[in-house]
Amino acid sequence: MGPLIPQNIISGDLNFFFAFLIGVAFGYILEQAGFSSSRKLAGVFYGYDFVVLKVFFTAGITAATGVFFFSYLGWLDMDMVYVNPLYVNSAIVGGVIMGFGFIMGGFCPGTGIVGAVIGKIDAIFFVIGIFIGVFIFGYFFNSFEPVYHANYKGSMFVHDALGMSQPWFLFVLVIVAIAAFIITQKIQDKSTRFKELISNTQSLKATWPAAFIIILAFIAILLPKERVSYLSEISSVKLTEEIRNPKRKLPPERIAYSIIHNLNDIVLVDVRSPQEYSDFHFPGAINVPVNQILKPEFKDIAFVENKKTVFYSNGGQLSEIAWLASARAGKKNIYILAGGLNNFIKVIFGDVPKSEVKDIMELSDRKFIESAKRFFIEGELSKRQIISSKPLSSPETTKKAKGGC
Amino acid sequence: MNKNYKEIKPYMNPYLAGFLLGVLLLLTIFISGRGLGASGAVKSAVIAAANVINKNAPQVSDFFRTQENPLKSWLVFEVVGVIFGAFLSGFISNRLTWKIDKGPGIKNYTRIIFAVVGGALFGIGSQFGRGCTSGAALSGMAVFSAGGFLTMMAIFGTGYVLAYFFRKLWL
Repeated sequence: MGPLIPQNIISGDLNFFFAFLIGVAFGYILEQAGFSSSRKLAGVFYGYDFVVLKVFFTAGITAATGVFFFSYLGWLDMDMVYVNPLYVNSAIVGGVIMGFGFIMGGFCPGTGIVGAVIGKIDAIFFVIGIFIGVFIFGYFFNSFEPVYHANYKGSMFVHDALGMSQPWFLFVLVIVAIAAFIITQKIQDKSTRFKELISNTQSLKATWPAAFIIILAFIAILLPKERVSYLSEISSVKLTEEIRNPKRKLPPERIAYSIIHNLNDIVLVDVRSPQEYSDFHFPGAINVPVNQILKPEFKDIAFVENKKTVFYSNGGQLSEIAWLASARAGKKNIYILAGGLNNFIKVIFGDVPKSEVKDIMELSDRKFIESAKRFFIEGELSKRQIISSKPLSSPETTKKAKGGC
Repeated sequence: MNKNYKEIKPYMNPYLAGFLLGVLLLLTIFISGRGLGASGAVKSAVIAAANVINKNAPQVSDFFRTQENPLKSWLVFEVVGVIFGAFLSGFISNRLTWKIDKGPGIKNYTRIIFAVVGGALFGIGSQFGRGCTSGAALSGMAVFSAGGFLTMMAIFGTGYVLAYFFRKLWL
């Protein structure tokens, strides 16, 4: 289902509008939390005010728990979410420089902007500083580039880097967060400095949503390793039943009939490589290489309501894989071309046996195949292909979300 | 001062603020497939400005190279929203005042100089880190990014190591 915009569930044009609304909420929450004050922020380093740690860690485990459950339940496709790429050297160098910036400036960029907006003069100068810093980096970018691009590890997940399972990592993260909350609270209570800075609603009620998230995060480790079901995944019993159903294989004649009469009742999905597809494919067929069959970008093109989706490949193997993957994911109305293209060519283009006709049915079958042969070989098809406005190649794929700070 | 002096409202409970921020971040990832950020908008603005001021900026450095209008970016719109949201919050809670926050032992100009230098360092660091505290550390944590965690530990680790040397700024 999600993310909505990279999958075009919500129009990309609305993306900027959502960005604005999200920004309003972001700015509001940061200011309400007290992040517009550099002295409150710096308190995390001196033990008199741990608001940064509390807000930051609570937000982190809330969002991480949410992301875990959303992707576990199949609501969020992590392949399409921007996961910050890991360039080891650059990440450390950048973090250390930002650490210097934090202790000297008292803000980070987001909080600096928030402070500047409500009239904190030190924040305004901090923001001016950010512009200067980014310009300096940009101006000397070519010299920084070796460090910037060194030691690239891809969009690595932290639990993979540590060799842990994702729910266990979440569990440990939450334990660390709780320990940090308790310890820092004790330190903060002992500190005699700047008590006037800590003016926040102390109501216990306000902490229960965070407590709920923590409980939710603990539940994560109790879940079965493999997710039991996608939202629409079918049971293995039902799958076995469907595999046994011979009707899932459509004979070449059926496909030919549909193409010749332009019935528009099937979606032909060529699951071979784009190279093979461009060498030859059925008119109107779309190309979805087998390993991409469940990619969200093909969802609406390959599986259309009230139309049969027919997978085909050279033999039958690739189409069989595509069929199985789709059936398991709960797709309905899916078929394969029996025997694949090879069989199709043999049946439709092959010699019609000259033996005696046994009955009227067989006679009609032969007549059909002969007409189909004429259709495919003697150019009627090519004429139609020119006027056909159907898309013949695979559609533009949707793009993974772009990110970056 | 205004006669009808309005009382400054207390800050939100940090755990509630954190929860709301986390839900917002989750929602952002669910809608847009990416996390929150801040420094990226500055980057877009700097690239745009460099190209306006000097047409040859892209030859000076690859950093200034741009195909489309750099201001037409998600983060720019988000940060414009942040400006509105923060102002709204400050207005509601009566916190809109001109003020310099600093430790009691230093002069205003000292605070301002360190603010500019700190900002500049954050600007440079955020480019190396491919994101700042929001874009790399917080959003990285939400999507279980190893890079995000590494940058976060480097930021706060360095902060704690240096805290002693810069204590006069704050204590």
